[in-house]
Formats: sequence, C-alpha cells, structure tokens
Amino acid sequence: MTYQSRIRRIGWFAALGTCIALYALLHLKVNAVHADVVRAERQIVRLEEQNMLLETEFLTRSSQLQLAAWNRVDFGFEAPRADQFIDSPMQLASFGSPRGADAPQPIRLAGMTSGEDLPEFPKLVSPLTGQPLDERVLAGDEPDGRNVAVSLVAGPLRVPIAGAAEAAVAEVAMAGAATR
Amino acid sequence: MTAYAAPHTIVTGQAGRVDHRRRALLVARLRLLLIAGVFVLVAAAALVRITWIGTVESAPREQSMAEALLPLRGEITDRNGVPLARAFPAYALWFNPSAMAEGGDGGPPLVKSPEQVAAELKAIFPDLDQHEVTQQLRSGRAGYLRRRVLPEDANRVIAIGELALELPRETDRHYPQGRMAAHVLGYVAADGHGRVGMEAVLDEYLLDPARRADPVALSIDMRVQGALEDELRSGMRSVNAVGAAGIVLDVDTGEVLALASLPEFDPNDVQSSDVRVTQEQYDRGITAPAFNRVTNQVYELGSTFKPLAVAAAIDSGSITDLSRRYGATPYEVQGRTIRDSHPLGASLNTPEMLIHSSNIVTGHIVDEMGAATLRQYMVDLGMNERPYIELPARGFPIWQSGEWSRIRAITVGYGHGVAVTPLHLASAYAAMVNGGIWRPATLQRVAPGQAPRGRRVFKASTSARMNQLLRMIAVYGTGRNADAPGFRVGGKTGSAEKPGNGGYRQTSLVSTFAAAFPMDNPRYVVVAMLDEPQGTVASSYQRTAAWNAAPIVGRLVPRIGPQLGVLPDADRDIDLTDLRPLVGGVD
Repeated sequence: MTYQSRIRRIGWFAALGTCIALYALLHLKVNAVHADVVRAERQIVRLEEQNMLLETEFLTRSSQLQLAAWNRVDFGFEAPRADQFIDSPMQLASFGSPRGADAPQPIRLAGMTSGEDLPEFPKLVSPLTGQPLDERVLAGDEPDGRNVAVSLVAGPLRVPIAGAAEAAVAEVAMAGAATR
Repeated sequence: MTAYAAPHTIVTGQAGRVDHRRRALLVARLRLLLIAGVFVLVAAAALVRITWIGTVESAPREQSMAEALLPLRGEITDRNGVPLARAFPAYALWFNPSAMAEGGDGGPPLVKSPEQVAAELKAIFPDLDQHEVTQQLRSGRAGYLRRRVLPEDANRVIAIGELALELPRETDRHYPQGRMAAHVLGYVAADGHGRVGMEAVLDEYLLDPARRADPVALSIDMRVQGALEDELRSGMRSVNAVGAAGIVLDVDTGEVLALASLPEFDPNDVQSSDVRVTQEQYDRGITAPAFNRVTNQVYELGSTFKPLAVAAAIDSGSITDLSRRYGATPYEVQGRTIRDSHPLGASLNTPEMLIHSSNIVTGHIVDEMGAATLRQYMVDLGMNERPYIELPARGFPIWQSGEWSRIRAITVGYGHGVAVTPLHLASAYAAMVNGGIWRPATLQRVAPGQAPRGRRVFKASTSARMNQLLRMIAVYGTGRNADAPGFRVGGKTGSAEKPGNGGYRQTSLVSTFAAAFPMDNPRYVVVAMLDEPQGTVASSYQRTAAWNAAPIVGRLVPRIGPQLGVLPDADRDIDLTDLRPLVGGVD
C-alpha cells in the first residue's frame, strides 16, 4: 500500500468518523428537542387539567342554586322592575335634570369617607412577580406629584401586568408632560 | 471493505505481471460483488421492514396533547356554552388493607388505630360518618371510603401518612350546577352509560372518540332554567304541593329554554330511591324524583284547554262574532250536567267566557263547532301522540280513539276527558300564539334560520285574535296575578281535579298556568303546573291556579325576560281596543 492510499484511507475514516459524530450530535439534539416538546406538552395538559378543575370548581361554587340562595337570603336582590329599564338616550338624559321643588329627598346610602377610621387599603401584589406593586403607579401620581396637571379618571390607574413599575411611572410622567 | 483485499505478493517477470493483473481484477470483482451483496442485503432488509410495518405492525400511536385532553365522555353545555356536564378527573378515597401487608410481615393494615385514622379523616371531611368508617377500617375489607375527593383534601389525606389510604384517580361525571336541570341532563350510571335525560339520548355521540372532543350544546339557557326552578320551588313550598313542573319554550323554533320537574334529584349523587319507588309508594301515587312530570306524566290540564277550543272555533269559522252571547246556566248533556264552579250570570260572550273561565259556555261553543272539528284540531296539535322531544321518557296521552261523542268533545273543550303532558300544552300554546304553526319541541340548540318548518294548525288571523284574548285574561281575568308590569303577559289558568278511584277527587287539584309573552309579538311560552297544591296563607287559602300557578309566572317572567331579550316596556301592549267594550263588567 502506498503512502498516498494510506493517507486517503485515513481520510475516508476521518470523514466517516466526523459524519458519525455529527450524526450522533444531531440525533442527541433532536432527541433533546423532542423531549422538550413532550415535556412542554405534558405541562400544557397538566395546566389544562388544572384549568378545568378550577373552572369546574368555580362553576360549582357559583351555581344557579347558590346564586339564587344568596340573592334571596343574603342580598335580597330582586329582578329589576319595568321602570328601572332605560330605553332611550332621552330617558337617560332626564335623570340629569334638577330636582323639582316638591320632589322627595333622594335616598342616600351609608359609606365611609377618608375622615373616619378607615382600615388600611390592601396592597395589590403583581400576579406574576409576587412583589407589591409600586404605590406611585397605583396612585397614578408623578413621583414628585407636580407634573400631572389633568387627570381624566379618578382613582388608581390600570395596573401593569408585567409589573414594570418604573416604565409605567415614566408613562405617567410623559402623559403629565403632554397634558400640561 | 479493505480488509478483504488480497495479500500483496511480489511476482517478477511477464508471468508475474499477468498473474498480478488477474489477481487485481479478481479482487476488484470480489469487492464489487461484496458491495453489491451489501446493497442487496440492505435493500432486502428495508423491503422486509417496509412489508412488516405495512402488514404486521400496528399503526403508530400519535401521543399528542389532543389525545391526552380528549375527555372520556363529551361535555354537555347550555345554549351559551356554559358546561352542564363534564368528564372530571377526580380522586376517590380507597381503603386497601393489603398495601401494608405486601412486605409479608403480616402486620396490621394501619399504622395508627382505626379510631384515630377515622377521626383524622373526619377532620378533613366533616360530613363523614366516623363510626361507619371506623368499622370499615377495623374490618380489613377493601372498599371506597369516599367516591369524590377534592385535590386539596387529597393532599391532606396523604399527609395522614397511612399507606392503606389510597387515592386512585378516577374520571367522573360532574354536574357543576348540581340539581339544576337534572331531568334534562339525566346521569351516568356505574356502567358508564347515560340514563334518564340527554345523557341517555346522546350516549353514543358522547362516547364516540371522533366526536366527543366537541361539546354538545343543548337549547337550555342555564339562567332561565335556574330562575324557573327557583320560582317553581318556592311556589311549590308555599302551597305544600307534592310536585311541580314548568317549561319555557321558544314559540318560533320549538327550542326548550328551560324544563323543570320537582321534586328533582342530584345527578352527582344518584340514590336508588331517586329512580325507583316501593309498591306502597306507587299505590299512593308517589313518583320517583327522577320521574319527569313535564314529558312523562299526563294530566287533565283543565281550563287551559279553553283557549285552544276557542281558537279551533274561530279558525273553523264556527265563531264569527265574539260579541255573541251564550247561555251560562247549567245544562245536561247525555246524562251529565255541565256546570261552572260558581254562577257567572245569565249569559256570556266569548271574551267573557275566557276571562271568567266558564265550562258551560265552552260547552255551547264546542257544541256548535262539532266534536269532529275539535278532535281534528287536537290531532293537529299532536294531542293524540307522545310529545315530540328527544328525551326517552315521554308519556302517552289518555286519548279517546275513534269518533268522539258530544259529551267527550265538551269535556275536552274545558280540559277534561283528555290527559296530556305539560309539554303537549306548551307546544299547542306555541302554535296558537306564533301565527298558527305547530313545531316539535327540541332540547338541542337550533341554529338561526334552521327552525323546522312545522305544520300550520291555525290561520295567522286566528292566532292574532287569540293573542288579544289571552292578554285580556291576564289583564281582566283569572290571570291577573301573572301580569308582570311591562312584559305584556297573556295566559290562561287551569285547575282540574285529579281522577281517583270512582271519579274525580275534589280534594286534590292540578293547577296550571299556561302563558306567553310579550303578547304584542309572542316569543316565549311559559307553563307552570302545581300538583296537589293546598290552600295556605301564601295563596290566600285558595287552591286554584289564579292563586298559586299564576303568581309563579308573574314572578318568573321579570327574571327571565331581560335575559331572553324581552325588555319590559310599560308603553307598549297589544291593541285591545276592539275587544275591551265586550267585557263591560270587569274592573
């Protein structure tokens, strides 16, 4: 056997070996991805089952029988009467008209205002991060409270789901700057 | 392959070269043959494998999510997609005394004492019968301790630390709404097949692997069903009735939006007493809770038939003038006296007859129409056959075959002499108010525009006239307690004595209110029926339908109307101006 043919033979072996090694690598990779997919599928199935479990539990706890019992016993709710329905914008607008001279006093409901002993408002926790959300975001205020000139809605802002408290504060600040 | 190469030999000279060439040629051929052989082998192996896969081996099973998520039994939902019955992966609590003995040491099945374990289980399940469970644990018999355990309770059971308490995962049929719509849904028995309701009807579909992934939508509206059952139950309790039945039917499609029969059963926990009665109970006329009073029990539904008789008379041309007066004094027909519950004056016209519910005047109207005509209308309304609905339990009416005598026709005119189910009545009322088309009732959702064509029983003009008359009964007559403000309810009361041994029993009534709303464009028929109501404070010590069944409808309609898209409007109503002068004496 000549030197050349020996080199060639070794070369062939090397090529074959490389191919086998590459194939083995690919095979392992495919199997790994497959296992990942299977695991993800199993997780999806498990979550779907949990989802169904929770949904069923919710439906069971809020069954019509239960709701009827609550309405009847605890809340005393009744079906709305015919005069409680509004069928035109004009009728709706008529509610804004001033009270007549001999009209009865409107019914006032009891409520708590800030002057009384208010219990502390529960802190909202982000469902994803588990951290309490930034109170400044909830309050809808600027960090220093001077840039917001106009507030369209009273009360807290929409709570950012991703818990990006700082980003939301920045947005509020920008909105404040824009409305000024 | 190179391993098969021939050894190199050194040959000199011409002969050697020839020899060398021949050898090289031979080696080359051998190698070629070898390679060809390998290829043939590989090809043959592949062929064999392909043949094997194609013929012997079973098809590859696709293990995917879809299969894992496929329920063992299909889901049943209401018309809006709210699940009413679903296959539910649940845990059971099983006592396996051999779990600890598997080591062969012959020790006791429990680590702690049976009393202690039962007490700990009692702490998890407060409704557990501690004594019974203690007995079972002590006896060493394997068996269920509980058929259904919630996941959080399952974790607490594991925390007890007893190997003998096993929690096998079992797929169970769960009805989230509990007792609601039990007769419509039915239940799944231990053999895995449905019973009684749509579970039995759809059994094949719900078990079919190809189709069970898609839920089946019923025509039931869960909210309407809940309201109907709630009102029927409170109405039934307030007058101590033995049973109640109710149905809400879409007049244009025949869809049943709610169907309730009380007393009901719990499909989540069916007892043998729910489905069978003892001989003694049977003799006393008591039915099992699983018995469906709406589709299976036939009743003489009394005066609710009078509007049907009047509609037949108007439609056949027998009544041409609604102001015509008929004598209202008792009279005798074939040896039987037709009389009213109380005197209603010397004469009444047709609207007055319906408002005061006079048997005598109904008799005159039927007499003029003729027995054969009334019979034909009753046949057209499906009163001579089982009701049209998917449910397996459908009662056959008590129906006089052959030609009707005069007295038979008169009694049928005011709802005696023929016994039908409340569903028959609802379908007939739907045909009477919807323009005259009778359609079969169905429990499966009907897609818009897919309603069955049905058959015409009454002319549209007759139907329009009947809508006015039904509304008048609710405004001026016995149906006033059902007149929910703004909903334009129209309907007729009916109180019939139940037949017993040797004639009618005056002490037990069946009181019915058959109604439709809104009468200016009828969309839904509501029938409420009470079986043997008593006179109580709630009904002003009255037993007739005006005092017990009509108020049920009066309370039900405001609850279901807005949910069904019928908004109350005090400024709208059906035009009664042409009939109002005919009923002078009412307030």
